[in-house]
Amino acid sequence: MQPTMHATRRRTNFGSVGFVYCIAVVVVALASVNRPNNLLVWIFAAMLVALLVSGVVSGSTLMRLRAQRIEPRRARVGELLVIRYTLENKARFMPAFDLHVEERSLPVGLAAAGDAWVLHCGPGDSVHAESVLRPSRRGLHRLPTFEVWSSFPFGLLRKRLIFERPSDVLVEPEIVPLMPNLLSRVARGGLMGGVRASVEVGGGEDFFGVREYRSGDSIRNIAWKRLAGTDQLATIERSRAVPPRVRVVLDLRRATAALRVASGVDPRALEEDAITLAASLMALADRQGDEFGLTVLGLEVAAIPLRRGHFHRAKVLAALAAIDLDQPRDGTASLRESAERATILFVHPDRADTSVAPSVGWNFTASQLPSLRLPLEPRGRA
Amino acid sequence: MTLLRQYRIAAFLLVLLSIAAFAASQKDLLLLVSGGAIAVLSWYVTEGPRGRTLPSLVSNGLILLLLAWTLVSFLSELALTDSTAVLGRFLLWLLVIKLFSVRAAYEDRQRLTLAMMLVVCGCLETVEFIFAALVFLFLGMSIWTAMLWRLHASYEAARESRRRDGSLLPPPLEVSVGRRVVPQFRRVAIASIVAIFAGSVLGFALFPRFGESRGGRTDSESVSGFSDRIDLLANERINESRRELFTLRWIDPTGDALRSNRPIYLRGAVLDRYDPVTHRWEVLRTSNAIRAMRTPRDSKFVALGPGIPDTTGGVWTAEITMRSLATSVLFTVYAPFAVATDESYSVAFDPATLLLRDVGTDHVGRYWWYALRVQPQPSPQMMETLQGSVDSPRSDISFPVAGLEPIAQKILAEANLAGLPTAQDARTDPTLRWMRNRETARAIAGWMRSGRFQYTTDLTEFRVEPGEDPIVAFLERNRFGHCEYFASGLIAVLRTLGIESRLVTGFVAIEYDDSLEQYIVRESNAHAWVEVRTGDHQWTAFDPTPEDSLVQISERNRSFVDNFRWIYDRVEFLWNSRVVAYDSAAQATIADRVQSEWRSAARNGYDSLRAQMRAMVERFSLGRAALYWFAAIALAVLAAMAAWFVAHRHLLKTQVRAGLRSLPRQEAKAIARDVGFFADALELLERRGLSKPASTTPMQHVATVAAHAPSAGVEFARLVERFYQVRYGGHRLSVRDREETRDAMERLKSALATGR
Repeated sequence: MQPTMHATRRRTNFGSVGFVYCIAVVVVALASVNRPNNLLVWIFAAMLVALLVSGVVSGSTLMRLRAQRIEPRRARVGELLVIRYTLENKARFMPAFDLHVEERSLPVGLAAAGDAWVLHCGPGDSVHAESVLRPSRRGLHRLPTFEVWSSFPFGLLRKRLIFERPSDVLVEPEIVPLMPNLLSRVARGGLMGGVRASVEVGGGEDFFGVREYRSGDSIRNIAWKRLAGTDQLATIERSRAVPPRVRVVLDLRRATAALRVASGVDPRALEEDAITLAASLMALADRQGDEFGLTVLGLEVAAIPLRRGHFHRAKVLAALAAIDLDQPRDGTASLRESAERATILFVHPDRADTSVAPSVGWNFTASQLPSLRLPLEPRGRA
Repeated sequence: MTLLRQYRIAAFLLVLLSIAAFAASQKDLLLLVSGGAIAVLSWYVTEGPRGRTLPSLVSNGLILLLLAWTLVSFLSELALTDSTAVLGRFLLWLLVIKLFSVRAAYEDRQRLTLAMMLVVCGCLETVEFIFAALVFLFLGMSIWTAMLWRLHASYEAARESRRRDGSLLPPPLEVSVGRRVVPQFRRVAIASIVAIFAGSVLGFALFPRFGESRGGRTDSESVSGFSDRIDLLANERINESRRELFTLRWIDPTGDALRSNRPIYLRGAVLDRYDPVTHRWEVLRTSNAIRAMRTPRDSKFVALGPGIPDTTGGVWTAEITMRSLATSVLFTVYAPFAVATDESYSVAFDPATLLLRDVGTDHVGRYWWYALRVQPQPSPQMMETLQGSVDSPRSDISFPVAGLEPIAQKILAEANLAGLPTAQDARTDPTLRWMRNRETARAIAGWMRSGRFQYTTDLTEFRVEPGEDPIVAFLERNRFGHCEYFASGLIAVLRTLGIESRLVTGFVAIEYDDSLEQYIVRESNAHAWVEVRTGDHQWTAFDPTPEDSLVQISERNRSFVDNFRWIYDRVEFLWNSRVVAYDSAAQATIADRVQSEWRSAARNGYDSLRAQMRAMVERFSLGRAALYWFAAIALAVLAAMAAWFVAHRHLLKTQVRAGLRSLPRQEAKAIARDVGFFADALELLERRGLSKPASTTPMQHVATVAAHAPSAGVEFARLVERFYQVRYGGHRLSVRDREETRDAMERLKSALATGR
């Protein structure tokens, strides 16, 4: 766990309640001067002192407060990003109440969706708070500053502790639920990417070989014919089944401005849709147990080999998240021939382009994303 | 109980308090009962098991009706003086309607604001103690509630912001670790309340004031029942208050306190002008011979005029102790010659009326105690010395009300006055004149006391015809009223007959406490009577009010509560005298006192220091170099104190950083002396952004430091090892150990600086 930090700056502001309160103080002051009434004078004095006490109490509650943002790992467009904070009250006697934590100067693509609030942090206590952001744009975003503020005790003054603690958060592209039979149509029955036998022993269905019987082998796997011929027990071994393989090739060879789109269509949005479609295809493959890999054509992104699993998926999505569409494109890039046995899915931002590679593959365009999307089930009434 | 629940209850109590305070300011029991009952009902309706609230349509309709009713009542009365009361009632019922509204944050804000406005309205109406007590309770409660409101509003806002997404739970109200929330909140709230009250006392004392406090004077006069103005058209029922105002000890010339066989009249104001248009008695301020004097601080008597002979023998003494009345009037018994007070006051004496008034400009609040030397039957020579030439008899005596002559003659006939000197004889012979005045007044007062007139304090049935004077109505038709009507009637008849007389207001002492040997004067003992000139410098009191009625008033409404009233009255007196009557004069006095106290304390200290120094110079024969010696010693002492302070602070800091506070004090101090290096190392790391969390052990923290700078991690590990040896192994650092730790600290510093 990272240690908590001192505030970089401290600020005090008047809130709307404080403004109204000041007007009330002035009114009572005028009344007490206009009508010599010592009770009103006392009330005026109490109101004035309350303003002072408000500043002192809120200042002293935040005086020895330390805070730290717990670095958020990943985020994804369309999903809420929860950011956690550690608040530590180093004071010996003074508890802190009503602590709000907010991210300041949020980049475009990250919007606040829920405040972090802590009722109480006693002296010597350490508590956690969570704020919620809503990412709306893929990429690497920087959270420069966060602040802890409190308007306790009366809401008249807002004391703020500003922590300049930049941290980066990688926002992955949105994963759209696609039709579940999409990959089985293009991959399982495909020419190169279907289920096949491995060269290793496993629990599949294909015949791998025969070996001597060992104690504990299943009676189902006994080679009866061989027993009949040689009068020796032998066991049939099966080969390991290898799942279908899918390689997603994202075609970003054309510069954004050179995309062939109808007027009125934002080409950058199409590129983003293409990335979303690529991510969604790989997420679907991962969900169905297929092996998948990624190749981005036109940008300096290393090709990711075919694998499967949680970490592989995270790696692929991170690669997609980190794509910088403002980089210069390599229009001559193409998919090189390899011995890799996999179904190739080409994703184009604008139109299908068969000149990408000599291999046979399936072409998708960004504009197909809505049609490939799994229709949302209407919510029933509770 | 959670803070959320506390907020609901506190806010509701605050509203109830504001209703009670406003009802107290209006002295309206019906308002208190009706408003309070409906407010309490709202709690059951809205917070009860069903939790129902008024639909907004209904509540808005009710508010419109209330607004219309307020406008109508305001326009029908058209009295600007009552506008605050009308506004306050509108706010009160608006608040009650709002109590039935939904429990939303904005409604809460409105309710609290309305409650505060209601109390401010009450403040514009009155400054009475019972109201002020409620206001102070309200202030304390409002501080508490405002703090709870802040937490509640933040909680609601945070919950609402998360509800929009619908996927997250509301933030927790209670933290799962750490010490309890509610006791800590209570401590902060109480400390805030105390600080605000203490600060408000200071602010109250320092608030700039210009002139004398009108609030204090008005209040003192309105609450006492005593007034220097009489309005005969106020047809109302006078409440007979049992409030204890002051006590009177009546001491005879031998020095014994005793009970007089007649009521003792305490004079407060002399009203000698009747306005037939406004039907009011007022003070005719024509005397310009006011004598100002200053009473000594030690309760010694000071004569009220020059040339007054020794007043220590053969005179009576009236000692008055204030309990709940704050007024500038010193109530006197006829005729005063000397006055004594508990503190030094500036007193103004009017020789024409023999009245005393406190005109102090250098005191805080009002007096507690004063005494008067009086001579109930003074000699003409004494009175001439006392008054001088300011009170000479007048010849043009008349009463400015038409139609009184036949009434006076009729009464004169009914009073059966025989053997009186004629008016012609009286004009020529002063002795006959004074005798005629005395006998006529005695006869007519006796006639009025003889049962022909009925004493009552309920004047709601007192009818006055258009163009008719209330005094005529009293003497001719109604024949009932209270002391002011009796006294006015007697004066009217006497002046019509050419007899010089005047109306006196004050108190009559009747109730005697045998155990304390003193009279108790209550608010209901306020009285009015008549003084008739019976000599060149002689006035005689005549009371036309039946004495039985005075006794009845005193005895009426008597209950066991009266035995304890003095406690409340005392507090109320404090309030009136110290707060309500606090004005620019009192402010200046406090400033002078503080200044003089500081000055005298500084002077005393300086003198004492010089005396000590001189004694030491003589004792040690220091000679001329003594000053340098003393300066050197003082500097050494100051340096030692500063060094001790720094070392002590460092030791405490080390104890906290090294987690030694849980150990016994002596043990913690002993270990802290050896583990200062560890505290310094932690401080150094904290400055570099590597502060050790409380939940991490020092050795675990080594890993964090090593991740940042490996060499620093190694050095810090050495220091931690040494710390463990001292803290848990009972090891004591040798000189060599100390040098090693010092070197390790230096290496740690450089490693952190280079980041290696």
